[in-house]
Amino acid sequence: MATRIEMPQLSALYGQAALGAARAKLPGLRSTPATSELPQESLVVRHPGVSLEQAERYRRLFSGEPFDGAHRTALPSVLVHIIGFPVQMALMSREDFPLPLMGLVHLANRVEHLRPITLAQPVQVLVSAENLRAHRRGTQVDIRVMVLEDSADPESLEEHAVLWRGVSTYLSRGIHVVEETAPQAADSTRQEFVPPVKTASWRLSAGTGRSYAAVSGDYNPIHVSNLAAKALGMPAAIVHGMYSAGRMLEGREPEGAGHRWSIDFAAPVALPATVAFAAEHVDAQQLRFTGWNPRKSRLHFSGELRLG
Amino acid sequence: MSAQNVRDAVIIGGNRIPFARAHSAYATAGNQDMLTSTLNGLVARFGLQGQQLGTVAAGAVMKHSKNFNLTRESVLGTPLDPKTPAFDVQMACATGMEAIGSLANKIKLGQIDSAIGGGVDSISDAPIVVTDELRGILMEANRAKTLSQRLKALSKIRPGHLAPQAPGVNEPRTGLSMGEHMAITAHAWGITRAEQDELALASHKNLAAAYDRGFFDDLVTPFKGLSRDNNMRADSTLEKLGKLSPAFGRDLGEDATMTAANSTALTDGASAVLLGSEEWADAHDLPKLANFIDYEEGAVDFVDGAEGLLMAPAYAAARMLKRNNLSFEDFEYLEIHEAFASTVLAQIKAWESEEFCKNKLGLDASLGTIDRSRLNVNGSSLAAGHPFAATGGRIVASLAKELHGKPGKLGFISVCAAGGQGITAIIEGR
Repeated sequence: MATRIEMPQLSALYGQAALGAARAKLPGLRSTPATSELPQESLVVRHPGVSLEQAERYRRLFSGEPFDGAHRTALPSVLVHIIGFPVQMALMSREDFPLPLMGLVHLANRVEHLRPITLAQPVQVLVSAENLRAHRRGTQVDIRVMVLEDSADPESLEEHAVLWRGVSTYLSRGIHVVEETAPQAADSTRQEFVPPVKTASWRLSAGTGRSYAAVSGDYNPIHVSNLAAKALGMPAAIVHGMYSAGRMLEGREPEGAGHRWSIDFAAPVALPATVAFAAEHVDAQQLRFTGWNPRKSRLHFSGELRLG
Repeated sequence: MSAQNVRDAVIIGGNRIPFARAHSAYATAGNQDMLTSTLNGLVARFGLQGQQLGTVAAGAVMKHSKNFNLTRESVLGTPLDPKTPAFDVQMACATGMEAIGSLANKIKLGQIDSAIGGGVDSISDAPIVVTDELRGILMEANRAKTLSQRLKALSKIRPGHLAPQAPGVNEPRTGLSMGEHMAITAHAWGITRAEQDELALASHKNLAAAYDRGFFDDLVTPFKGLSRDNNMRADSTLEKLGKLSPAFGRDLGEDATMTAANSTALTDGASAVLLGSEEWADAHDLPKLANFIDYEEGAVDFVDGAEGLLMAPAYAAARMLKRNNLSFEDFEYLEIHEAFASTVLAQIKAWESEEFCKNKLGLDASLGTIDRSRLNVNGSSLAAGHPFAATGGRIVASLAKELHGKPGKLGFISVCAAGGQGITAIIEGR
């Protein structure tokens, strides 16, 4: 069942989450989630479409080509993610959501960008949660996002009405609401990272988190404030994972869509930073991306783009 | 030589000022000062006072917006007839070559009879600009119609916006400096530290020897107290060069090979070359050093590392040599711009590689071998320095002089440029 809501305000959701986090620290007022079940219902909102102004701010952030209305009108996948992100947040900040919003870590994102979504094209965003499962450091969950045609009926969804499909995987560290079933294979097969030949170097200023926040509306304190980031166990404000995704994809996504991509996040990028980046052509249809800390030879993220 | 049914474009001579390491002798000279002085020297050398030339083309890679008409303004500062038109060219480090090559074509086609091509660059007087944010706010204030709108715009200024911005030295699409790009290419081609240091040493020795035998007497005019390129180290040795730590590609660890000595220093300077038709040269009783035969621009897809940033000349040369039915064995002298010693070595390895020539250049065999004793015989950028846009003029004038008196002997030029571009050219002695 999909509950229709108005487009949520991210700032209000973060305020509420901060309040929840503060309350959780007070003895006797602990609002530990009473549930280990994910909400069964999904949320759906209408979005009027991305304005030219927002799209242009996005492309300036990544020094991309202009949305000139003739050769570039289709939104990049990460900008579509930005449309749906407040709805993800709304779902995760509900009382019946088993993991606290504050301190969630973005582990991975997988996207199928089925059809182009153009500037000012009204769409609907349908969000649901699934796969609550144990992680060696806590509990992880998949938030499924579908961007639908404006005329689609979310209650009886037809395949052709889906424009964009994404799964964001988040980790709640130190929270164990589900039993670990089997030891995670990833642990035993962890290998030393051998960096590929770099093809670019990203110099990220201390304000990169604020710059992405200004475009996306995601003012999560962990990205915009060193103090808040330190309180959450980071050395400094860290860059949004989707900034890395956006930069990795910029200029490489087909205007006609029909592509799939994914990104897996390893060590967070503490700002300011220099990220070494490699784009490698696996074949004509597939690119592999790697981002790492060149000084410590530490992996920040790995990604993939498949055309068609 | 040329198969085209056009007249010859003759290289008459050249002039440059000595090249100076950034922030040294020319620290207070701007691009226009240096270009005007260089043109003045050329005018004086060939008695062009009061003459109306066909066109003057030059450019600078690092250019102030106030110098929007740099070449024309420089021409107006010389004794040339003010009716001489001029235009600015910019193709990064290949600016000078593009200026000269395009002028040679105009002469060949009979559109003009005489021309000056060249370039200038200053690192010491590079344009410093405000941040994009501050410029945006100032422009918004400028567009405001009322005082309150203007104040509202200006109130957005934050301290961080006020930091001056020096021109970027990195490739905009990769964020890597040219040296970092070259380090990747050098590593891929397995170019050793020893080869690079030897090439750097040869550059200094050849340049010093050329100065000592007076080769540059009619190619260089002193400027601001300098009479020789102040980057030149005639007394350098392989031991000295071998002691330097790597400056680029440090993340390659033990495999890092590029140092400050086998990479060109940032430099200030200017150069100019006088071109004309045969008739024009004869009518003015001017020397005819060489013919400008052909030139070719090239570009490579470097952004995701499909090809090395500075490898475009490898591709341009293949097309140009094929068009002229030549191989590298046909050249008496080769001038390969030493952006880095490894740039020269990587291009040579590519041309000599059967695999590269077949797979990347689409040829049947390699482009021939390159006789190192014919390479950069009067020194190149590692010793002289490389004021970006001025390098083409330096090379064309020196090579033309070297080929003078050797009719029919050919010279090859390769200049790589930022943005994955490059130019190659052929000139012929007469």
